[in-house]
Amino acid sequence: MREAVRVLVIDDEAPIRAILRDALEQAGYRVIEAGDATAALAAAREETPQVVLLDLGLPDRDGLDLIAPLRKAGATVLVVSARDATAQKVAALDRGADDYVTKPFDTDEVLARVRTALRHRASPDMLAAALRFDDVEIDLAARVVRKGAAEVHLAPKEFALLAELAANAGKVVTHAHLLRTIWGPGHETDVEYLRVAARGIRRKLEGETDTPSRIRNEPGVGYRLAVAIGG
Amino acid sequence: MAAFEPVDTRTPALGWVLSLVLIACVTLAGETLAAHGNDADISMLYLIPVIYAGTRHGLGTGLTTGLFAALAYDFLFVAPLYSFAIADPSHVVSMVILIGTAVVCSHLGGQVRRQARLAQANADRNGALAGFARMLMGINRRADLWPLLAREIARLLDVRTVVLAPDPPDEGGRRLVVKAAVPMRAGLDLIDGVAARWAFDTARPTGPGSDSMAVSEWYFQPVCGGNVAHAVLGVAREDAGMPLGGEQMPLLASLLDQAGLALARIAAEEDMVALGKVQERDRLRAALLSSIGHDLRTPLTTVLGMLRAIRPETEGQRAQLDIARGEAERLDRFVANLIDMVRIETGGLERALEPVDLNEAVAAALDDLRRVLGGHRLVVEVPRDLPLVLADPVLLHHCLINLVDNAAKYGGADGTVTVRARPAGEGLALAVIDEGPGIRPGEELRVFGMFTRLEGSDRSGGTGLGLAIVKGFAQAMGMEVAAANRSSSNQAQGSRGAVFTLLIPPENLRRVDSAT
Repeated sequence: MREAVRVLVIDDEAPIRAILRDALEQAGYRVIEAGDATAALAAAREETPQVVLLDLGLPDRDGLDLIAPLRKAGATVLVVSARDATAQKVAALDRGADDYVTKPFDTDEVLARVRTALRHRASPDMLAAALRFDDVEIDLAARVVRKGAAEVHLAPKEFALLAELAANAGKVVTHAHLLRTIWGPGHETDVEYLRVAARGIRRKLEGETDTPSRIRNEPGVGYRLAVAIGG
Repeated sequence: MAAFEPVDTRTPALGWVLSLVLIACVTLAGETLAAHGNDADISMLYLIPVIYAGTRHGLGTGLTTGLFAALAYDFLFVAPLYSFAIADPSHVVSMVILIGTAVVCSHLGGQVRRQARLAQANADRNGALAGFARMLMGINRRADLWPLLAREIARLLDVRTVVLAPDPPDEGGRRLVVKAAVPMRAGLDLIDGVAARWAFDTARPTGPGSDSMAVSEWYFQPVCGGNVAHAVLGVAREDAGMPLGGEQMPLLASLLDQAGLALARIAAEEDMVALGKVQERDRLRAALLSSIGHDLRTPLTTVLGMLRAIRPETEGQRAQLDIARGEAERLDRFVANLIDMVRIETGGLERALEPVDLNEAVAAALDDLRRVLGGHRLVVEVPRDLPLVLADPVLLHHCLINLVDNAAKYGGADGTVTVRARPAGEGLALAVIDEGPGIRPGEELRVFGMFTRLEGSDRSGGTGLGLAIVKGFAQAMGMEVAAANRSSSNQAQGSRGAVFTLLIPPENLRRVDSAT
């Protein structure tokens, strides 16, 4: 039998830890808990968890400062953050957090994020090669996007944006990261480019439908290709 | 004390006596010299008392001393001896010289004395001012300044004093109140009161010796700090005479200037204290805010998390759970609104405008509200080729959430909620339309006030903060809000419901070339 994936839950509120423990254990993960930064770093060293759920409001240290050491210990960091803390979310992502969950959270959403994170850990390259959702197929290697049987012609920047989001499917990617990667350094604040490109992709890929777009905007943070890639 | 001891002009008798004693001494010395047969220069000896009296005791004493000296010389040393008769005319010259010396010396002495007196007066004044300034340094409250002012000016100018100031101090004061007086009972009559008032209002002196209200017994001068009269100082004599001599005026003016400076300093210090209080209040508010944010939301998060984690086993349980979840989420939104409202009220809104696609913004808001909107039919009419909107994405998100939440709340249990964006003039109008009872005529502006709920048949509660937050956030982004009833618009004749519109001005639009 395969050894269970270890998830470290860092939160100073015991009830929150209990909720997450229940949900995660039901999903088959092994849960380690830590109530403060010191315990968290010790647990990260000893238990080498694959995934960490990190609440940023810790009693002894700023949770943001934990992201780097946790990643160094080999963990994928998911931040648990308050709804309005946009700047905090962006800061966490900039420091290497993989994604975030907004408090108060939906345990289903947390599990989905954990699954996405594990999937990206397991096969970063394979995932980037091809991706299917709805009737859309993105072949990154061949640089081809198909809707149904027909090939969709995207502008170069549109394709680059879709490719970057597909490579991070299910995860949020910050505006600054997208702009830097696609348009180059110095364009980190030209959000306008992103809006236009996203609009172009939606028009060509999704048409005038009423269903919410797969290319989801997280206000003030970034974009997420909202597809389930977890098994 | 000055190097040159001034003359006490009030006791001329002393000068007389001393001069006579000196004449006697000189006479004795002259007798001794004459006994030794040397009488040529005896007249010169008499210059000593004459010069002394002239320089030290003024013209009167000097002249008299000169006369006495001349007579003594004539009587005792000039032939014929022991007679005032003068045989040798050359002795007349000696006597004239004595008297002339008295005149010249008294004149010179008088000048020196005047200068000395002036120097002394200046020194006294400077000393008084310096002492007064030192005392003012120790004063930190107006209330402490008034008694000091009354006491010191009474002492330095030897007058009765009274200090009047408006009460309470901040209201410019129609009523002047005696704040301090020396002696304790000021005894102002009606006319004095009017003179004081006049001095305060015009910031000019009144009373005897001034341009106005000369009938008053008291002389009033305003105490000004920073061009504003803060109080009035009154001075009067015990004997009801002219309050101040002309030479005392400059001193009084200087003293009041000093007091004015102290007042300005105290005012500045009070401002600092007031500022400190404001900062303290802001700190308290921030503390309250973070307390609400943490202490209220943390348990809420737990409750919500638990409710979402529970898997119902029966349909009944599912229904109960849905209600519990809905209520907990409402509480959570209420707390969020409370925090937002405090941020608006305290001016703590930070906004960072960036180009936002209304399609994305509306989609994100509806996604957040998917549970609330459960029973409602949703119509989204946002063209995909609209200009981008310059907005703070988070503030706009909250605006949309509150507008849609409001429509769901008041729009009837299964009514349609429509989100519609379209050009309006040069700008854009983003409207959220419900099918509820609508807004009572005349309430269109009031609905955006704090804690205002729509009057109507269906009031499913709420904080009354949502629309106020929409307005506050919209204005922070340079946008406006409007409320109306559907029936008042042409497109929807006869249909019920309210329309809440976010008006986006052309300055907030970024037209884009969509052919990338």
